[in-house]
Amino acid sequence: MKHAVLLVTLCSSAVSAAEPVQFSRDVLPLLSAHCFACHGPDEHERQAELRLDLEAEAKLVRDGSAVIVPGNPEQSRLIARLLSPDPDVVMPPPKSNKRLKPEQIETLRRWVAEGARWQRHWSFEPVVKPAGTLDEAVKTGLAQKGLALRPAAAPETLVRRLSLDLIGLPPSPAQAEAFARDPSPSAYARLVDELLAQPQFGEHWGRMWLDLARYADTKGYEKDLGRTMWPWRDWVVNALNADMPLTQFTIEQLAGDLLPNPTEQQLIATAMHRNTMSNDEGGTDDEEFRTVAVKDRVDTTIQVWMGLTMGCAKCHTHKYDPISNAEYYRFYALFNQTEDADRYDDAPRIPVVSPEQRAEQVRLAAQVKRLEEEVQRVSEADADLAATEEAKWSRITVVTAEARSGATLAPQDDGSLLAKGKLESEDTYTITFTPRVGRLTAIRLEALPTKLADGQLGVGRKPADPNFVVSELTVELLTGDATQTVPLVAPRADFSQEGWPIAAAIDGDLKTGWAVSPRQRERHVAMFDFAEPLEITADSKLRVTLTQNYGDRLVLAQFRCTTSEAAPSGLMPPKESAEARKALDELAAAQKSLRDFEASLPQLPILRELPAGRQRVTKIHQRGSFLDLGEEVSGDVLSAFGKLPDGSPRNRLGAAQWLVSADNPLTPRVWANRIWARLFGLGIVESEEDFGALGTPPSHPALLDWLAAEYRDRGWSLKSLIRTIVLSETYRQASEITPDVLEADPRNVLMSRGARFRLSAEVIRDQSLAVAGLLSLRRGGPSVMPPQPAGLWRSTYNGQKWIDAEGEDRYRRGLYTYLKRTTPYPTLMTFDGGSGEVCQVRRIRTNTPLQALVTLNDPVYLEAAAALARRMVISAPDAAARAANGLRLALIRPIHAGETEPLLRLQHEAQVAFEASPEQAEAFIKASRGHAEHTPPAEFAAWIVTASAVLNLDEFLTRN
Amino acid sequence: MHPLVDSTRRHFFQSSGLGFGALALNALLSRDSVAENPLTPRQPMLAPRAKRAIYLHMAGSPSQLEMFDHKPELKKLHMQDAPASFLEGKRFAFIKGVPKVLAGQFAFQQHGESGQVMSDLLPNLAKVADKLCVIRTVHTEQFNHAPAQLFIHTGSPRLGSASLGSWVTYGLGSANENLPGFVVLLSGGKTPDAGKSLWGAGFLPSVYQGVQCRTSGDPVLYLGDPAGLDRKLRRRMLDTLAEMNAAQQRRHGDAETLSRIAQYELAYRMQTAVPEVMDISREPQHILDLYGAQPGFVSPAESADDPRVLYKGDDPTFANNCLLARRLIENGVRFVQLYDLGWDHHGSSLGESIDETLPIKCQQTERAIAGLILDLQQRGLLDETLIVWGGEFGRTPMMQNNVRSELKAGYIGRDHHPYAYTMWLAGGGIKGGLSYGATDEFGYYPVENPVSIRDLQATVLHTLGLDPHRFSYAYQGLDNRLIGPTNEGRVLQDILA
Repeated sequence: MKHAVLLVTLCSSAVSAAEPVQFSRDVLPLLSAHCFACHGPDEHERQAELRLDLEAEAKLVRDGSAVIVPGNPEQSRLIARLLSPDPDVVMPPPKSNKRLKPEQIETLRRWVAEGARWQRHWSFEPVVKPAGTLDEAVKTGLAQKGLALRPAAAPETLVRRLSLDLIGLPPSPAQAEAFARDPSPSAYARLVDELLAQPQFGEHWGRMWLDLARYADTKGYEKDLGRTMWPWRDWVVNALNADMPLTQFTIEQLAGDLLPNPTEQQLIATAMHRNTMSNDEGGTDDEEFRTVAVKDRVDTTIQVWMGLTMGCAKCHTHKYDPISNAEYYRFYALFNQTEDADRYDDAPRIPVVSPEQRAEQVRLAAQVKRLEEEVQRVSEADADLAATEEAKWSRITVVTAEARSGATLAPQDDGSLLAKGKLESEDTYTITFTPRVGRLTAIRLEALPTKLADGQLGVGRKPADPNFVVSELTVELLTGDATQTVPLVAPRADFSQEGWPIAAAIDGDLKTGWAVSPRQRERHVAMFDFAEPLEITADSKLRVTLTQNYGDRLVLAQFRCTTSEAAPSGLMPPKESAEARKALDELAAAQKSLRDFEASLPQLPILRELPAGRQRVTKIHQRGSFLDLGEEVSGDVLSAFGKLPDGSPRNRLGAAQWLVSADNPLTPRVWANRIWARLFGLGIVESEEDFGALGTPPSHPALLDWLAAEYRDRGWSLKSLIRTIVLSETYRQASEITPDVLEADPRNVLMSRGARFRLSAEVIRDQSLAVAGLLSLRRGGPSVMPPQPAGLWRSTYNGQKWIDAEGEDRYRRGLYTYLKRTTPYPTLMTFDGGSGEVCQVRRIRTNTPLQALVTLNDPVYLEAAAALARRMVISAPDAAARAANGLRLALIRPIHAGETEPLLRLQHEAQVAFEASPEQAEAFIKASRGHAEHTPPAEFAAWIVTASAVLNLDEFLTRN
Repeated sequence: MHPLVDSTRRHFFQSSGLGFGALALNALLSRDSVAENPLTPRQPMLAPRAKRAIYLHMAGSPSQLEMFDHKPELKKLHMQDAPASFLEGKRFAFIKGVPKVLAGQFAFQQHGESGQVMSDLLPNLAKVADKLCVIRTVHTEQFNHAPAQLFIHTGSPRLGSASLGSWVTYGLGSANENLPGFVVLLSGGKTPDAGKSLWGAGFLPSVYQGVQCRTSGDPVLYLGDPAGLDRKLRRRMLDTLAEMNAAQQRRHGDAETLSRIAQYELAYRMQTAVPEVMDISREPQHILDLYGAQPGFVSPAESADDPRVLYKGDDPTFANNCLLARRLIENGVRFVQLYDLGWDHHGSSLGESIDETLPIKCQQTERAIAGLILDLQQRGLLDETLIVWGGEFGRTPMMQNNVRSELKAGYIGRDHHPYAYTMWLAGGGIKGGLSYGATDEFGYYPVENPVSIRDLQATVLHTLGLDPHRFSYAYQGLDNRLIGPTNEGRVLQDILA
């Protein structure tokens, strides 16, 4: 196809011999497609040390002759080799299958004869706004084929087209009628402005950006677990609705974190490049998938903004476009300094908090603070009592303290031991110490609250549940070499968890023990009397063993052992006053509320630059392998497209500024083309993804530059560019195809008529729901799960489930449908939606039987049919009016007299059939969730069949 | 250049001229038949040796050392520290430190006239040993499941490329317009590690993506009409739709509308054709017995919450799928892809072991595979059908030491091994009874005739009449090929009949 279009261009230029050959349009495509693979930028593949991509090299005189001698084709070896009959001499070599056609050789010959004037590839030349208007540029193209612009489409067609194009939703028939009746010449422009101002604009155009940015709600690869990305999706929608200039839109997404004092919104914007996938499969190398993600960011950035493919430069210098292997990694170096590293938790992340949530968080934090003060106040009242008690216990001197897991038990100034380091599910602590010399009566174990990994206090080491279970506590007396177990009696504690009493810690049974939930964030005290007082001499030691066998990491975090010489009857665990207890319980409850609330806040992965001291060294990945590192490179932009703008830093921010600098030739062309393609179904450059030497040449180069300059010079405003385009006569043309335009312009490349193409996956869904009156216009928030067949979600090692939404979320816009990369929503995929795995530049439209099955049988469309049927039945008492009203709701235009005939026959025959089998009618109504109070089931079921036919009409699925 | 390369990216579907419900349309179409249906059968680029293919992928990767690659030397080193040469400079998925060598756990015998060596786990397959070309030296570049599966099926370890079945259907079309050209069947669990991308069309038009046919529920999503709507009424409704669409088409003149009418008619025919072909209860008992198939069986493995808890019973799902594969290719489907899950035998938990689970997996599959080969042969289809069997990589000659340092029944396992493993081909264009390639005494590396994934892909395409080097699709500035951008992949001429 690509070649076919090329040929058309070339043939026409060869035929119109009056016009001089143009290097970038006529010659460069030939050279790049046929010669550059061996005589281009890639030094590894280069033959005969000849480069045809550089003017100086091609015209260099060697041994008295040159490959290209300007003005003299006879002397040019290029032409001689192209024309040679000798298979060993002719170029390109026959085995390459790249033979040039005679008219192509003639083009090259004429170009040499006319002086072999060199230009850069067309899209690399600066954008200069041509004179004239959009319509004039189109008319010029049409006139060459003897065609002219068609008259404007009917107003009802136009209003539907405009509404579907701008907000992705149909107008209501009333809106259409009002527009059609408005004779004012400014009515159309007013309609455009109204639509551009609707919040649904950002939702519709945001979908395009989501495809490009490979947005999804999961991480990809084997486990494909969910991740929170929707706050970024909402950022995109808001940015488009606010008509954020492309410059800002670019800089905030690529480098919002590098702006001075970035706002929360600017940080959210950077999640764009956190849409890269993460691999949580066991045994994968995080560095491998980190580098894969960084390469994806590089490739996507250049692809999306500049329409060039960087993929091949990962392994070798680009064969066709001026991007060397080293340059790839210089640009990569700019993106290689972010903190993220394919971690399971997707760090770094930020909580994304709505104003309501922020207020709630502040309220809960204040409550905790108040209760902490309260606890402080009431415990002071208990302090005197506590001091008296404390005086009865004496410190020990720790000799050794070991944990079986290998964790460290570090002695603290207060005589306690703090467990650090290794954390296993079970552990046993063994402490040997010298107590005070004398006659000991009792031993005390205190569990002390300490700050855990999550910053919260707890007495156990597991942050999510800082409880502990002392399965067994034993005391041994060591005297010289003798070891003697010390029997313990009278176990008592300030608090024990239900079912886990303190007595269980000395019952000899490892399955039972002492635990303290739900008070696992307060100090706890347990005491045991020695059955007989111990006589401690200078060479006695005591060994305490704390076996903690419960599993699940329920082990002590910080604890202290003390001994007493007082009479055991006077030793009691502290008992706080009722007031203190109440305060403590309230504090625990408030802390829990705050923790739960904070854990429920969505955490969005963002970009964050590594600090200066921790920046990575970037080396070339030889043949693309992250294990095979070559020469070190420093960060830079692609040299063929200018330098970093003055004053721009050498990092992602600089790269972003370079992409949207006014002299970047590609960014405005690529974006203008992209927007044009969404409105006309086909880009001016059809290969939207490739503006390089191998891409398709523009059908209207001047028009493209006009649009690009318009976009760039008018503040990079998406809305104003769209406005300019849709106000044109070209856009407003009628779309009927006549035999003569079909012959002259079969694919509507010349825009000889209004564009006609099938709607996109999301628009098809939204339109059906809208026409049925079911569509919810609720905006933003977490993605939703409309019905899909049971049993589709079955990723390995992933327990997440799809639960069909009920209520409003069942009918939200397609944009909000949860997208799981390995199992995307099937009906969106069937209509060419993407899976969000890689950057999707355009959706290539297909027309398949599976699409028919969706709109016929998917419950979403059945429900829409039933709801539309209900609207039709309610709208009028007679069948003809009902059918006409249904058609009008769907197609927006006036319905002609005969058009309802086939529908009425269908409805009638269906009703007869359903009357013959009422149970079928009931079953069908139930399957489509239909309800109509005053219509007999057989009649209503027949109307559902009829409505379903309406929702399957080609005209309905198509934008006219 | 392949004719399709020049005609992509637009109007993939034009009117196909197939029979329509509304008679009037035929006349309309004959005037307007513009382009071809993208699934219309096409002439191969080369003389084909096989017309279609069935690919049996054992997802998770079976141990070649227990099935095909007999290494008595491992016995001598059994439970000793692995030699340094096994470990230096290697990356493993899970092994850390120095693991112990693990002897093959099952006895091997020679079979058939060719003397093909196979283990006692494969008694039925052994009976067709002379049909198989066993390649013991396949090596891959990937050692994690998802990337390795993507690499073998799409030519790239990343997501986004076209799968083998899509390439083949794109190149050859399909012989039955009422069925999808590329069908995927799953057994033994939920979804393979790399998910549906394994049968995605990537950059090719989406019409070439594999259609997963399910054995419970609608075989193709949304295939069944809603409750209460019978076939007669569906037909009636489609006639109305066609009539109205045709009227509209006369007004605006867009050929795409004719194509849409054709797609609705095709959908209607699929609604009958797919359930018919998927209904194995139509097969006689002796055929069911040949495969070990049981119509109507719904495997508990499909709904298990923890995929590691495999269904260990006599699960006939794979056997049912083998029989379905035959029915599908018999009815003109071009490429049938089976994935059987549950072959990842690390030994880290019950259900993942070589001593306990591998025999069960073999039992669930090998009789059916032998049955498939015999059934195709008796129908004269074996010579036209290429069969490929294998996993995404092999398993190490060492036990996986970080899991367990001593032998324990039910927990004997091996880690991922990309350097040499066994796959086999059979059927159309393939020399049967051939052993190709040999590994060293430990089964660690190839020592004779190494075969890369690229070679394998090139050979499969070649067998089907597609020149692997010239068969390409232009996308994003590259002429994409299944065998990747370099010319390393070569056709294994030695194994072609």
